[in-house]
Amino acid sequence: MDINAKQLGRRDFLRGSLAMAALAATGSSLASCATSGTTSTSETSAPAGQVSDTNPFGVKSGSTVEAVIFKGGYGIDYAEFAGKQVEAKQSGVTVKVTPVTKVAQALQPRFVAGNPPDVIDNSGAGLIGINTIRDQLAELNDVIEAKNYEGTVIKDTLYQGVTQPGTFDGKFIVLNYALTVYAIWYSASLFDQMGWTVPKTYEEMLALGAEVKGKGKYLLGWGKEAATYYQTLAIASAIKEGGDEVRLALENLKPDCWSLPPVQDVFNGLKKIIDAGYVKPGGSGTVFTAAQAQWSEAEQFVLYPSGGWIENEMKDQTKSGFKMTGAPEPTVSSSSKLPYEALHSTAGEGYIVPSQGKNMAGGKEFLRAMLSKEAAVNFAKTKLASTVVKGTVPPDGFGSTALQSQIKMLDAAGSNIFSWNFVDLYGMNTDQLVVWNTFLGGGSSVAELTKGLQEITDKVAKDDSIKKVPVS
Amino acid sequence: MTTLTTGVSSPSGVSPPSGFRQIGSARWRRRNLTFDKISFFLVFLIIPVAFYVAFVVSPFVQAAYFSLTDWTGFTPSMNFVGLANYGKLFTDDTFLKAMGNNILMAIVVPIVTLGLAMFFATLVTVGGSTRGNIRGLRNSSFYRVVSFFPYVIPAIVIGLIWSQIYDPSAGLLNGILTRLGLEKFTSFAWLGDPRTARWAVMFVIIWGLVGFYMVLFIAAIKGVPAEVFEAARIDGAGRFRTAISITVPLIRENVQTAFIYIGILALDAFVYMAALEPGGGPNNTTLVMAQQLFNTAFTKGQFGYACAMGVVLAVITLAYAGLVFAVNRILGGKSEVGE
Repeated sequence: MDINAKQLGRRDFLRGSLAMAALAATGSSLASCATSGTTSTSETSAPAGQVSDTNPFGVKSGSTVEAVIFKGGYGIDYAEFAGKQVEAKQSGVTVKVTPVTKVAQALQPRFVAGNPPDVIDNSGAGLIGINTIRDQLAELNDVIEAKNYEGTVIKDTLYQGVTQPGTFDGKFIVLNYALTVYAIWYSASLFDQMGWTVPKTYEEMLALGAEVKGKGKYLLGWGKEAATYYQTLAIASAIKEGGDEVRLALENLKPDCWSLPPVQDVFNGLKKIIDAGYVKPGGSGTVFTAAQAQWSEAEQFVLYPSGGWIENEMKDQTKSGFKMTGAPEPTVSSSSKLPYEALHSTAGEGYIVPSQGKNMAGGKEFLRAMLSKEAAVNFAKTKLASTVVKGTVPPDGFGSTALQSQIKMLDAAGSNIFSWNFVDLYGMNTDQLVVWNTFLGGGSSVAELTKGLQEITDKVAKDDSIKKVPVS
Repeated sequence: MTTLTTGVSSPSGVSPPSGFRQIGSARWRRRNLTFDKISFFLVFLIIPVAFYVAFVVSPFVQAAYFSLTDWTGFTPSMNFVGLANYGKLFTDDTFLKAMGNNILMAIVVPIVTLGLAMFFATLVTVGGSTRGNIRGLRNSSFYRVVSFFPYVIPAIVIGLIWSQIYDPSAGLLNGILTRLGLEKFTSFAWLGDPRTARWAVMFVIIWGLVGFYMVLFIAAIKGVPAEVFEAARIDGAGRFRTAISITVPLIRENVQTAFIYIGILALDAFVYMAALEPGGGPNNTTLVMAQQLFNTAFTKGQFGYACAMGVVLAVITLAYAGLVFAVNRILGGKSEVGE
């Protein structure tokens, strides 16, 4: 009896341990949801120091500013540069710059615990969806109304409309620092050599496709993680064609927003190019950087829609003498509501100042330093990209044709600059990639593409647990 | 003689049965109080259980609670919403598709992997010459080492290597196929075509795991006495019959354990997918629940909803383990583990 009982116990134990092993394996997925405790501290910022013209936010002497900076294509040295400036201007203030790659994962516990850093560069693939934290962010109007280190009011030094993408529900809470111009990119040297001209409409694009095909090349190409670059292109073209009405319908997740005539015209224009076989096949199985190298190095296709970061991203994989140049997105017709020169431009590297940070004034002072002429020129020179501060790029673009063309496009666009937020705001990109990969590969019709995109939009629109940001 | 017997018998001099009992209970009493026993309980029972409760059970409970809230993941406060997240989950096409993909993988991956592993393990241990001693194929130790190689490489590296091999334009696979004259594979997107994507990723997982399970089965087969195989051979059983009627039943428990572990892996599969199909694949044909959970939590900022996905994933995993036990029992296994 005794022995039997013992044996049973051992069996139970082993059976239990196997169940535990099964539990432990699933635990990783479950435990990822757990927090480190939810202590709510609603402490206000540290008592402010003396407010003066040289210290508009009243940073306290002897305080520390904690800046957490996304370390991606731009690195963090430009932020360290700004940190040094703060230390030089405000005596006794120390700035601690910490790099981070997965912003949301790294900072989520700190937001929950109520002690976020003073200033954050919320960027990269792992950024925190602004919608989830926008109640916890400080308004930044006083930053751009302050005078910069050179004595000019910061607002007057910025490009037109740069605060708009960082404004949610009337509150300016995200300062996007690096100016991004979206365009169709091509090799100026190749186009000159072949005598091709950059297409201004989808009809012209189709015609160019035939010529390009004659030379054994493709017109367009894509990579699986970047299929939605074509969505960005399509939305930009549709907004140019149909004006603000299109933009607002999409931004406000209106029913049938993807069925608006300008949007449909663009989709049909793209579909003709795809059906004609002018798009390099296999993109849905190609890593996007490899696909981009097929364009910039192997020149297997000749046009690529992307943002201004493309030059820096492909720096090591660009054919010498490529002369990367950008052109505005094509329109559908010559009678579009916005001119062809209108530009989709927004700013990336979204800097935020949490209102619960220990040194909110310090966080704002850090942004003021970043917006100084000295820091902005330093950024433009070392990163070959413009900041939102005007006049920091010389006409030679520091020797970069891509940067030259960006500045030229911005000047030509004047006040016709637009952008939109809804894709990133509601985290739709992952779902949309699927639909676009299929469409670009020729696997779906315009109707199917429209239906797929509308379903994704409707799902967000109907979900009451997602807070909406009305746009007007 | 008398001195000797008194030395052995109990000092009280009562009858043997009750004396025996007395000694037993006295021994128990003494043992209860020893430092050895208390420290043993403390080190091997109480501390591990405390750790387990603190770091494993409590996060589970916490996650289960969060699944009943609308927590965004970035606020200290949240609202209780009851079972709303679960209701949403079972009408969410994307999640249901991911669940379907996982279930298909949990069926295909274990059967193919373990089938192949068993086949190779048999060849290497008992599948050799039918004359002389029971032994494996010639150079079997070489095959054993080589087949283990993929398991030594971390899963994420395997994923990255294969995503290069599958590359439509510059990949090794299409390079070989087009060189062989199969022109239709020029720029064929193995990971981008809804017909091939899920089989391509399953192949990678299977490729990475066969070696490990083969070694596991080899160890189990080596534990079976060679006489059993010799007897079967004398009775006239061929290699296939030996494998089906002798090997598999004798290492049944190992197969069951292997099924559970690999099934759990197939229900997760996050690492392989993160490298091969970070976006969920064409038409979401390779999307797995863990990926959808991750996106929901970190890109969409819906931690409460993501926790509900985690709970469902855990329940499915436990159900899978239960199913494996049940099948084994129905097929005549003794169902107890590790005897």
